Amino acid sequence: MADAPVPVTVLTGYLGAGKTTLLNRILSENHGKKFAVVINEFGELGVDNDLVVDADEEVFEMNNGCICCTVRGDLIRIIGGLMKRKGKFDGIIVETTGLADPAPVAQTFFADEDVKRATKLDAIVTVVDAKHLFARLDDSKEAQEQIAFADIIVLNKIDLVTAEEADAVERRIRGINPYAEIRRATKSDVPIEAVIGRDAFNLERILERDPEFLSGEDDHTHDDAVMSLSFEATRPLDPEKFNAWISDLLQKKGQDLLRTKGILAYANDDRRFAFQAVHMIADGDYIGNWKDGDPRRSKIVFIGRDLNRPQLRRGFEACQVPA
Amino acid sequence: MAGVTEADFLLAQRGATQEFGGWVVAAIFDRAGRLGFALADGTLRIGDITAEAHDGAILSACADAKGGFLTGGDDGRLVHTAPDGTVTQIQKFGSKWVDHVAAHASGVRAASVGKFAHVLDESGKVMKSLPHPSSVGGLAFDAKGKRLAVSHYGGASLWFVAAKEDKPKLLEWKGSHHAIAFSPDGTHVVTAMQETALHGWRLADGQHMRMSGYPAKTHSISFSSRGRWLATSGAESVVLWPFFGGGPMGKAPTELAGGDEVLCSAVACHPQHEVVAAGFSDGMVLMAEVASGKVVPVAPPRDSAITTLAWDAAGTRLAFGTEAGFAGFVDLSQR
Repeated sequence: MADAPVPVTVLTGYLGAGKTTLLNRILSENHGKKFAVVINEFGELGVDNDLVVDADEEVFEMNNGCICCTVRGDLIRIIGGLMKRKGKFDGIIVETTGLADPAPVAQTFFADEDVKRATKLDAIVTVVDAKHLFARLDDSKEAQEQIAFADIIVLNKIDLVTAEEADAVERRIRGINPYAEIRRATKSDVPIEAVIGRDAFNLERILERDPEFLSGEDDHTHDDAVMSLSFEATRPLDPEKFNAWISDLLQKKGQDLLRTKGILAYANDDRRFAFQAVHMIADGDYIGNWKDGDPRRSKIVFIGRDLNRPQLRRGFEACQVPA
Repeated sequence: MAGVTEADFLLAQRGATQEFGGWVVAAIFDRAGRLGFALADGTLRIGDITAEAHDGAILSACADAKGGFLTGGDDGRLVHTAPDGTVTQIQKFGSKWVDHVAAHASGVRAASVGKFAHVLDESGKVMKSLPHPSSVGGLAFDAKGKRLAVSHYGGASLWFVAAKEDKPKLLEWKGSHHAIAFSPDGTHVVTAMQETALHGWRLADGQHMRMSGYPAKTHSISFSSRGRWLATSGAESVVLWPFFGGGPMGKAPTELAGGDEVLCSAVACHPQHEVVAAGFSDGMVLMAEVASGKVVPVAPPRDSAITTLAWDAAGTRLAFGTEAGFAGFVDLSQR
């Protein structure tokens, strides 16, 4: 049986940002692909598709004593149902409500074994309104989180702002999440390839986008509670030390760490290790060898709230083997 | 296939198989012992008959109250299919999925749609729509058809079907609960959870029972005929919890037919004897006698996991189906 996991695209964004417009654009474009669509808002605009599932966003705590380990119970149920019809569609698109915290959606794809086996998270796409983003970021934790979690940000309604305003919005987005790819759009007019089939959660691609902020330390405007920090280690890491440190860190600080991503060079190992976590739920795997001649440097990025730069740096650097 | 191996002796000599090409949601013997297979392509297969029961996938199916088959689909419909393949819509619940169905020989039926468990009478009329704090994870009538147990996030709710005033007895336990079963004597309710564990309640005093240690999620649970054992999937063996001698609290479960490092994906206890049928994620089906641990192979491993197992009421036929659409039955009656 061909058991390739079904790609899932998660669409987030505030009400009115243009999420449903983007969804309809994806569905109506002539790409020959069939999607199962999970929607939560019967809203402003109808969705024109054969397979639309109406869901109630049900956020469940996993019963393991960790309050930030939440999953979308309705998604587990719906994906279980959809998998029985495997082969009838090429991908699943999940639209979240405007106010949704994206973490439970993302965590569902790591925490539930049945979902994990049957699907893979392709990308989290966040649609934002260029004109109103500043106001949203100022008054909403969810708006910041939606940007922090995004792999791709569709900066929509760009025709309604000046070039300077657009640049300012982009800078602010970069301050929260320097890794996301930003696509400017009017009426959500981005090519479908920009948002579907991105494989953005693939461990191998995690740090492929090398943001400039590594060199130009700190674009961070300090307006937003959510920020990102990245660190590099030049000596190889001791896997045991790293595991102990990161487990402890995620355990204690997991609630504030929205996303963690890393490419690691372990001592006496020619393979690259890719690591990622959504809050406390971590996942990691080897992703092929380091290229000959390339510097074997470990990199790690944290996107989160209330992050202590010196402490995190010291912790990460202490995982290196002695010089 | 050349020759008959031990593993498929029963299937080859005393069985019949079919290839449906799509996920088998449930194998069902109706109240008169007629075998039907409910498929995710929306059809019900009864012998050579293909009944187009749903426009979409069948999500759950059971023997209907007075013969024939009861199915719920992702087309929002609750459907009765007669043994001759005649399809009758009982109810249509908008665009929401009909996730779970149950029926009792007394005539009462239940269907869950989102957070509601609808109770229907023999004519198909909705008698009551019972609300729950979250989407319903599973439904089960007790052996007499008097009570309905409904699992959901945070525990399970117990309803009296004929109550004038609908107030559930809430069985609370943190976490998300799906598959649910009553013990045959109606004294216990057990659920399978999102976490790899089961939870049970002794109804007389609310005593909690935690059954854990599974490597995978349990999807299938089945009490033995007299309720002494609870057979469960979710481990690399058939895990049976003792519901006697003070158990399952403080008792270790019995494990049968293990050792192959393949997950058990479905279980069904024999309707009379302490024998359990088990299906595995590689497609193997076997029967095991609880007391002796003796195992009899029914179907050899194939390409995909066993999704469903069913015994007829006499306990002479055992039917099964897989994710890939392979289905069959064996006839164990004396010849």
